[in-house]
Amino acid sequence: MLKKLLLAGAMSLAVTGAASACDFENTTPVKSLSAGFEAWKAVTSFMAKCGDFEAELDQEFRTKQPAAFAADPSLYQIGGVANGTLVPLMNEGTVRPLDGLVEKYGQNLTPNQLIKINGETMAIAMMVNAQHLMYREDILTELGIPVPKTYDEVLAAAAKIKDAGVVEYPIGATMKTGWNLGQEFVNMYLGMGGEFFGPDNEATIENEQGVASLEMLKKLTEYMDPEYLVSDSTYVQQQFQQGKIAMANLWASRAGAMDDANESQVVGKVKMAGAPTADARAASTIWWDGIVIANNTSDEEAEAAFRVAMNGMTPEMVKENNDVAVWLIEGYVPGPLALGVVQTAEAGALPYPASSQMGLMHTALGNGVADFLTGAKDAQTTLKDIAGAYTTSAKEAGLIK
Amino acid sequence: MSLPKSMQQPMALQLTSVGFLAFWCLIAAFPIFWIAVMSFKDPIDAFASNPLSVIFGPETVATGRGLSIVSIVVGIAFLWYTVHLALTLLPKMVNKYTPPHLLVPGWIIGALVFAIGFLIVFAGILPPVLSAVNSILGPLGKPILGLTTEHYRAVWVENAFYENFINSMIVTVGVVTVSLTVGTLAGYGLARAGSAGSFIAFWILIIALVFRALPHSVLVAGYLPPFINSAEILSPILGDAAPTLYGKPWAVIAVLVSINQPFTIWMLRSFFQNIPNELDEAARVDGCTHFQAFRWVIMPVMWPGVITTGLFSFLLAYNDYLVCSLLLDAQNQTMVPAIAGYFNRETTTTDQVEAVAAAVSIIAPLFLLIMVFQRQIVSGLTAGAVKG
Amino acid sequence: MNTKTFAAFVGPSIFLMLLFIAAPLVSVFMQSFYVTQPIFEQVEVETCTPGFPTQTCVTETKIQPVLGEDGKVVTDVKYVGLESYYNVLEPDRAWAALKVFDFDALLTIDFWKALRFTLTFTLVTLPLVIGVGLAIAITVNNATRMIRGPIIFVSLLPFIITPVIGALSIRWLFIGDGIMTAFLEWWLNQDIAMFAQGWTIELLMMFYRVWHVAPFAFLVFYAGLQTVNQDTLESAVIDGASRWERLRYVIIPHLMPLIVFVSLIHLMDSYRVFEEIVGFSSQAYRISLQWLTYDLLTPDDSGNRSISRASASAMLTMIGIVVLLIPLLRKTWRDHKGGRV
Repeated sequence: MLKKLLLAGAMSLAVTGAASACDFENTTPVKSLSAGFEAWKAVTSFMAKCGDFEAELDQEFRTKQPAAFAADPSLYQIGGVANGTLVPLMNEGTVRPLDGLVEKYGQNLTPNQLIKINGETMAIAMMVNAQHLMYREDILTELGIPVPKTYDEVLAAAAKIKDAGVVEYPIGATMKTGWNLGQEFVNMYLGMGGEFFGPDNEATIENEQGVASLEMLKKLTEYMDPEYLVSDSTYVQQQFQQGKIAMANLWASRAGAMDDANESQVVGKVKMAGAPTADARAASTIWWDGIVIANNTSDEEAEAAFRVAMNGMTPEMVKENNDVAVWLIEGYVPGPLALGVVQTAEAGALPYPASSQMGLMHTALGNGVADFLTGAKDAQTTLKDIAGAYTTSAKEAGLIK
Repeated sequence: MSLPKSMQQPMALQLTSVGFLAFWCLIAAFPIFWIAVMSFKDPIDAFASNPLSVIFGPETVATGRGLSIVSIVVGIAFLWYTVHLALTLLPKMVNKYTPPHLLVPGWIIGALVFAIGFLIVFAGILPPVLSAVNSILGPLGKPILGLTTEHYRAVWVENAFYENFINSMIVTVGVVTVSLTVGTLAGYGLARAGSAGSFIAFWILIIALVFRALPHSVLVAGYLPPFINSAEILSPILGDAAPTLYGKPWAVIAVLVSINQPFTIWMLRSFFQNIPNELDEAARVDGCTHFQAFRWVIMPVMWPGVITTGLFSFLLAYNDYLVCSLLLDAQNQTMVPAIAGYFNRETTTTDQVEAVAAAVSIIAPLFLLIMVFQRQIVSGLTAGAVKG
Repeated sequence: MNTKTFAAFVGPSIFLMLLFIAAPLVSVFMQSFYVTQPIFEQVEVETCTPGFPTQTCVTETKIQPVLGEDGKVVTDVKYVGLESYYNVLEPDRAWAALKVFDFDALLTIDFWKALRFTLTFTLVTLPLVIGVGLAIAITVNNATRMIRGPIIFVSLLPFIITPVIGALSIRWLFIGDGIMTAFLEWWLNQDIAMFAQGWTIELLMMFYRVWHVAPFAFLVFYAGLQTVNQDTLESAVIDGASRWERLRYVIIPHLMPLIVFVSLIHLMDSYRVFEEIVGFSSQAYRISLQWLTYDLLTPDDSGNRSISRASASAMLTMIGIVVLLIPLLRKTWRDHKGGRV
């Protein structure tokens, strides 16, 4: 929910109680640029307590961040990144190693939070997120269906629910064309044990796993609302809340909304489990969100920025916002809602394989997979065209000779 | 007005045209009416599939928030009276208290005062009075129509939407002022270009039109890197004073003015062509320069065309999404891109209803604008602001 | 007016347009012939990310750009001629499809798919906008004076409303079990999903555009109707012209310059159709040329964007608009030479 101010900087809560205040008084101007979802609002509002801090929670941060960090001096000292958005900053060398600062000010950090690249800490993670199974416990219990562990079981369960006529469309999925649909394919393909690239970055998706992934996605769509190609995670969440679907592979950060009495008609009935597995492993990817510190900024500014950032990631912050995300920060009490992510990770889900190539591949998939689902192309042609689209972009980007 | 018999319309035609107009008005107003209704309901009601539950809002009523019959009657009476006042008292007052050459600012101030007065009474005084009355009335005072203003409160108070409103005003007023200043000069220059100049004038117009056809997303993506690095780029020329253009409202104003410039000069040129040449030539004979003639002869008669063109500039600046969202930072963000903040990775249904409330808040000033300037727009267009 | 005064009047406007429109245009034109690529190197990278119970570390060969001595990525600007245009148009595939008259195959190529939609969208909405605008203008003009004000007010609403909001407001009426879909289902007595196939979304998008733009046409035509010569009309009546003939031979010719004006503006604007694609999330079924450009320009998660292809696609869009406008521009040119403008 967008309850807090859009501009955490304007809140200047520094005056409120001493117990939750910042551990130092910041006098160096510090600015941050990140996405605008709830967890960032929580963290940046705690950072603001140190004073002289402006948070920019921007939907266009993906476009702005690389350019703003490349400017000299960088327009922002702190950046909010995830698996993917760290890549362009790393590529352009616009973020700095944090080992020294971690040693000095990072007493509260757990080893799990340090994102290490070639042994150097480049980012500090604050939370993880993953798509995992959410299901209507009441429906499954009533029909005597065990919680599905594999995608074949999901299909069987869906058939049973549909036959019983409990809900018209048993499955929901975030299959909106574009990034969402690409993500669904990535999950499934990795779950099937596929590999995206060969040794020279050429696409290697035209294989059995690719076809199997497409076919599994199509089988799932038979149990979905026919408007699945416009359904994003907000829409799937609404379908859940309105009692229209029984199962979905949905983002962990969405779990809290199922029990929000203001919106949901199924309070207490939706339970979490690990993502169903495909042939090889859990068909999901693990994402993290965290902060980086700009390279094009003075050491003093970087130090101040890091201390400010550390004050956003405190046990107090987690205490106040425990159910907003699956935090990695000390003090987090994993609730029932966090169960899904842990089980997904245990079932072998991989971290999202972010890289320059993967960015291009994800786009090509997001735009291309729909043609198979709508029946415009067969599986082989679809994969061939996606690989072709990837090759064109990769050549233009210079990744393939 | 009595028409000759043959000009009068046969019954069937009259009925058809009345039916057609009614149908059109329904289509034109319904979607807007509907989002306004949605913005006052709880999320469950707002996205219900039964239209009656959206209108009456059972879930909202169930939590004790809503309007009773008495409140509805009083509310409607008050609204009707407001419209009545706006159409009678407001023009009278404006005409009485403003000197003729300041009619436009007079109208703007009058309308603003009126709107603020309306808001104070309607949102400030009426609700507590009515809730007191309702509590006495018993069954008649029971809420039957679900209505909650909590989303508006969330948008304006908790999310500080007023800051975006102020930013929108800065950008919009800037764009309208600059665009009209630059545009009137150019429009006048083009309209009065001599026979040799008319060839150049025509080609400037055509090229401007082709410019207008360029997809905005391309332009905007082109601006971003130089805007962010402008301090570095401009420092050899301006030294330490070199500004970072990214995030500066005036830089966005310049961009929006330029994007709309082709349309503005096109409209204003054809408007000036309809002002007889003899008017300024007479002034020139009396010894005025071109600028003096423009200032003292043309400016007093150009207002209808300028208002109409200004309205189009206003709409462009006020409604812009692409340019503002990319080139402004959060501190200076305008209202329309700020709405996108509600559609983030973790949008909930409540966020959506809040977004609807924000959307209605954005449309409301446009309502007022059209109410005030409707007559001027039509007369401005009639006076020849568009002549192909 | 001598050249100097003319320049003083027109100068500021020209300066702004040159700086903010012409300069980007030139750079887009240049970029469509070049690609800028970083110099890459293959490196072995170990990445450790959060996992349960401990971190997951992956070692893989990654390709990453070489950084120069100034800390910036070393890039190589390459002249590629028409290659980016070639990549956008995919002439081989298009020709192969055309040779066997397989239009479905042709429409699986992004550019041609977008072109097909953009053209249909533009050409279908044009007459509708003119027709609806004219119809409203004439009926309002014939209506009694008292109701004209309120009707003009209501009619203007779709035009002034912020486009993104307008599109969303119509989308909410139809998506899922939105009330209009529920109404249609009840009326036609069958299950309807407006967003489950291309043609219904296309219809909705066209409906939205006509709804949004017809009021502009109405306003312009209504203003034009105020200046119809009443004498001509009356003499037409005396000559026994029917209502239809009066419309056909007196009113329409009088409004002709305005119809050209509205068509010109509408062609330019609707050829750039973009808000509808986003507002109705129609990417799976229908894309437009500007959306294609926008999509190529939007950085993905890893920050890649296809600037060269986006520039080529933008240039192709521009060429398309100019081709569409030629008949109208020629007419304006003839009028201009005839001294009418």
